[in-house]
Amino acid sequence: MNKEQLKAQLKQQIIESLNLIGVKPEDIKDDTILFGEELGLDSIDSLELIVLLERKYGIKINDPKEGRKVLIDINTMADFIEQNSSKQN
Amino acid sequence: MLYIHSTSCISAQHTFDDVNFDVLNPVVENKLVAVEPNSNQIPNAVLRRMGKAVRMGIKAALSIVNNQSELKGIIIGTANGGMEDCIKFLNQIIDYDEGTLTPTNFVQSTANNIAAQIGLFTSNKNYNITHVHRGLAFENAVIDAMMLVKEHPNSTFLLGGVDEISTYNYTISLLDGLYKNEEGKNNDLYETETAGSVAGEGAAMFLVNGKKQNAQATLKAIQTIHTTDEITVEANLKDFLATHLADGEKLDLFLSGENGDSRLSKYTKITEKIADITTLRYKHLTGEFPTASALSLWFACNFIETQKVPTNMVKSGSIPTEINTILIYNNYTGIQHSFMLVSR
Amino acid sequence: MNKIAQNKINLERIFITGIGIITSLGESPDENRIALKQGKCGITDLELVQTRYAGKIPFGEIKINTETLKNQLKATESGVTRTSLLALHAFEQAINDAKLSVREITSSETAFINASTVGGMCLTDELYKDANNLSIKSSYLSSYDFGSVAIYLQQRYQIRGIVNSINTACSSSANAIMYGARLIKNGYAKRVIVGGTDSIAKFTLNGFNSLMILSPEICTPFDNNRKGLNLGEGAAYLVLEAEETCKSKHVYAELTGFANTNDAFHPSSLSIEGDGPFLAMKNTLDVANLTPSKIDFINAHGTGTENNDEVESRAMLRLFEKVPSFASTKSNIGHTLGASGAIEAVYSVLNIMHQEIYPNLGFENPIESTKLTPVLSYSKKEISHVLSNSFGFGGNCSSLLFSKI
Repeated sequence: MNKEQLKAQLKQQIIESLNLIGVKPEDIKDDTILFGEELGLDSIDSLELIVLLERKYGIKINDPKEGRKVLIDINTMADFIEQNSSKQN
Repeated sequence: MLYIHSTSCISAQHTFDDVNFDVLNPVVENKLVAVEPNSNQIPNAVLRRMGKAVRMGIKAALSIVNNQSELKGIIIGTANGGMEDCIKFLNQIIDYDEGTLTPTNFVQSTANNIAAQIGLFTSNKNYNITHVHRGLAFENAVIDAMMLVKEHPNSTFLLGGVDEISTYNYTISLLDGLYKNEEGKNNDLYETETAGSVAGEGAAMFLVNGKKQNAQATLKAIQTIHTTDEITVEANLKDFLATHLADGEKLDLFLSGENGDSRLSKYTKITEKIADITTLRYKHLTGEFPTASALSLWFACNFIETQKVPTNMVKSGSIPTEINTILIYNNYTGIQHSFMLVSR
Repeated sequence: MNKIAQNKINLERIFITGIGIITSLGESPDENRIALKQGKCGITDLELVQTRYAGKIPFGEIKINTETLKNQLKATESGVTRTSLLALHAFEQAINDAKLSVREITSSETAFINASTVGGMCLTDELYKDANNLSIKSSYLSSYDFGSVAIYLQQRYQIRGIVNSINTACSSSANAIMYGARLIKNGYAKRVIVGGTDSIAKFTLNGFNSLMILSPEICTPFDNNRKGLNLGEGAAYLVLEAEETCKSKHVYAELTGFANTNDAFHPSSLSIEGDGPFLAMKNTLDVANLTPSKIDFINAHGTGTENNDEVESRAMLRLFEKVPSFASTKSNIGHTLGASGAIEAVYSVLNIMHQEIYPNLGFENPIESTKLTPVLSYSKKEISHVLSNSFGFGGNCSSLLFSKI
């Protein structure tokens, strides 16, 4: 999977796991701040996304503070997944 | 004494917005599932995490608190709160063998979530309480509201009762014998001679205060009893009426919590005899659930306001020309009983 | 047969005439007091609860297994859960301590208000099987809900006054105490038995774990490097009586203030300004008609989470010109959720009875932004007024005020 595909997949997964009613993948730009005004996500969502990374990508984050650094936008999430997946390979 | 100023009700019937008792929604698979109104008052960002109990609670609440200046308190009765989320989280624990779990279901499963979400949505920083005493959860909320109104005579409070049918809770209650094993229908609910009732859910909300002016109805008194003995229920009801009916005041209607469970008919029979007046029942419309009595209070307020009674609710007697005083009796599984006296 | 309330609000004083408690520190008020004085910690590896976290995360577990509790308490009825057994133990102690007769307990003027957030869900695996209809039905079908504990005790003791169950998450039993006191003040009861109970459940431990707020080590309330909370279990009940009904009785303390407020900020965390905690404390002082300077000691909620301890500190700094001595007992017994308000009410009563304060364990450095240091060692102290805080999910904040007679 190339990075664009990964980002598209991430958007879909985020919408599903956070049950973002009425939000379409195209509404989330690669640099939309996830915890900003637009999406209105909060600390519980960040924990949900940490679980998503573990369940879908096999990457475990133990410290929510570390999570916050990764979960800035789609770009940072995709970078993080790529780096850590490559480590696993 | 509680003056009820505004009410709302979400149930399996048409009780929200355009109240219509002529169209009857049927029992399906022994459940009377509440009709959830569409609401554009609540943004999707807020709705997305809520289970049905919370959605019903907040929709019913917002429909009456919107134009209300600050409420002095939010008092909710719910036996099971966020049961559906509770069991979803439980399933996660087992399915993922206590691994990394998503927290949303856990946070949503706390019983006080309904009251908390109403408080959050209306930015209300005052008293916020959740009574969860099974079949007397709403009644204890009423007692709380009565005390609050006495303590703060100039303030208005939101009082409500909410419970949902969750797939899993339905299973537990079915195994426990609360629902009929055979398929039930609205109209013959009371004719069957079998144990169990049909499952129900709903939310009823009331704005209450100590001001008589423009009140829709008055909740004059309430009493709760824990017993399985119908003679104790009888004695308590006699005492309750003797204490709370004013000289010369008489009952116009008896709203009974009869639910088609043959094991409980002894209680409804004896209370009916004491009330000795036109008897109405409502659980073929709402189904049975621990806070169904909140809906019975809504029905009573509706009858007093409209001075009308739907004929399909009448069990015996004739509809009075004037409705001033209503006695409500409810019991849950035969161990928790309550009386409420509602008047104009 | 709850008697009708009188028309005016009763300004009756509310006296505490009996206490009962069980925690990982001990099975009675005395055992708890001795352990608190010695700075003992009851937080250990799990031995009784079956979970994959046993041995990995510490808990304030009571090391008496459920069967033994049943035998000790002669609770042979079917469907009785650990949560109910802990309740029964502490309830029995409280009513014996207050020397309530059978006639008094079964009087229509005696109410019972219970709090629990776990209820029968301590049987997480049984609940899973019953809910999914996976095997023969268990004997716990009517024991899972929150009301089951109060209904069990009501039936066992034939209580005829108002009986209620409250669940507002971690402030539940503080609210049960408040509701009970208001029943007396409003003339619905002459005496009330109030408190709460919770046992360690696979359900709650996984829940708090999913929020990443369980500390892997013994918790350190108000410490700058705190890593979260430990769960505990326990139960505590108090007998509250109207002044007129307990004239000849020994009275431990008076409940002089109480308030509940809502932070209205977030479902599982407190606002940084701490409006809810601030208002709960402030309104409690208003009910008692006391100025902040009169408070001698605060039994803080102090769970050891990053959010709670900082916000609670801020709220104390907002209300008090000079923050009084304060401490959290969460590093002694863990967070007992719905029971914590009642357990800490008993601890507050002990503070007053014995004119002493107990150390806040595990503290090393103050939180940078608030710089408050809790009580670090046992000492005798003149105490007239103790404020006890309990804050829960949904922004539910309660404070209680206990005063020396």
